[in-house]
Amino acid sequence: MAILKVDKLNKRYEKFHLKDVSFTLEKGYIMGFIGVNGAGKTTTIKSMLNIVHRDSGEVEILDKDYTKNEINLKREIGYMFGGVDFYPKKKIRVITDVVMRFYPNWDNEIYLQYCKRFNLDQEKKVDELSAGMKVKYSLALALSHNARLFLLDEPTSGLDPAARDNILELFQEIVENGEKSILFSTHITSDLEKCADFITYIDEGEILESSTRDDFLAAYRLIKGTQSQLTDGLGEIMIAVKKTPFGFSGLAKSSDLAQVSGLTVEPPTLEDIMIYHARRNNNE
Amino acid sequence: MSNLLYKEFRLAINPFFYVMPVLLGALMFIPQWIFFFVPLYFCFITAPNLFGVLKSNNDVSYSVMLPVSKREIVLARIASIVTLELLHIVMAVVFAIIHNILYSSSNIFMDPSYAYFGLVFVMFGLFNVILFPMYYKTAYKYGAPVIISTVVAVLFAALVEVSVILNKDVAVFLEGSITRQLVILAVGILFFLVVNAVAYKMGVKRFEKVDV
Repeated sequence: MAILKVDKLNKRYEKFHLKDVSFTLEKGYIMGFIGVNGAGKTTTIKSMLNIVHRDSGEVEILDKDYTKNEINLKREIGYMFGGVDFYPKKKIRVITDVVMRFYPNWDNEIYLQYCKRFNLDQEKKVDELSAGMKVKYSLALALSHNARLFLLDEPTSGLDPAARDNILELFQEIVENGEKSILFSTHITSDLEKCADFITYIDEGEILESSTRDDFLAAYRLIKGTQSQLTDGLGEIMIAVKKTPFGFSGLAKSSDLAQVSGLTVEPPTLEDIMIYHARRNNNE
Repeated sequence: MSNLLYKEFRLAINPFFYVMPVLLGALMFIPQWIFFFVPLYFCFITAPNLFGVLKSNNDVSYSVMLPVSKREIVLARIASIVTLELLHIVMAVVFAIIHNILYSSSNIFMDPSYAYFGLVFVMFGLFNVILFPMYYKTAYKYGAPVIISTVVAVLFAALVEVSVILNKDVAVFLEGSITRQLVILAVGILFFLVVNAVAYKMGVKRFEKVDV
């Protein structure tokens, strides 16, 4: 059952256009929302939540139209946009005291458990927290009101590898019982390799792919060969090519591989897919 | 809504601004003075500082993250600022009463009377109806909205004070019969309520279009 349906979301800025963004997230799964900086990840999540006005498109959460049920649904969603960057001179205890009032399902015991897990000192001011701790505080707020869907924008950026691992483990615990889902945006692809069931890839405001992680990886292949093997025909099917003094490597859609022979073909990593797409955009 | 008001008074408004009505209200003790300066200091000091604090604390980004509508955000903001204005008026009334007990001679400029407070409501109404709709075009730029609304408030106060000095009829009209003064007070309060409702409606309309 779908917990989140995004249908043809459009938002036009002067120099950026979110084009017909559509994807679906099933109950009980983690979806990684990836793309390079500026690809439209934050704009998509903000448009989904009406924080940024969408020009068109529909969002359905828990089978309800988001626009018509905005406030009730906001209570059922845990969302965060990077680290806490408001009221820097206030103690986190004070900020939490205000935030908790807005959520009928706020569970202070869970909140305190997360604070303990994240080593968050209630008496510290936001300004006194490191970038990573600000992200953890933001997460603690998003996780403490028994939400069923989590929309997390860069929840792992700024965290050290151990903390990141801890958060990813936590994500898996959250979806374990099959009732809750997480959509999290990141540009750290190793996060997704650890825990994402689905991948939605956004590139210059357009969704290139939204599928299971394995299907997503299977849809692309890395091709390597010598300079002399790089024919015009091969260049055409490749998304982007990196040339070195010894040869070339490039990314192509698996479906286009029928025309390739005599070359090394390898499965790419998520990072490879991102890098080659970015390379194509830079060359255009 | 009460949660948002709690947020306004606990987080957004610095306790310093709750002390200001007392400090500024005490200016009512200055003999022979233009008493419109007392509420005007709210426009000169409190308003720009308040909006500056909101901007530096990223208040709008915080507010839109909460499970509330943009309409409620505007309503809570206007309600909290109006509450501060009312606090200024209440403290001014307290000090005006003491003023009237202490000083027996009449003021050259407008006396701190019922009519004066009615016109203070009109002044704050004009201030708000310009400030809020202008502010909610961006929800962070406050320079021009505060300056323009303050200039209008000053012009209104100046018009009243100059009229009282230059035209005896105006002075008699405003400072004569208590009944008439009470009517002016009631009209002032009504005007204040109506224009704040207009400011709210316009503020909501504009804030809905803002991408935070």
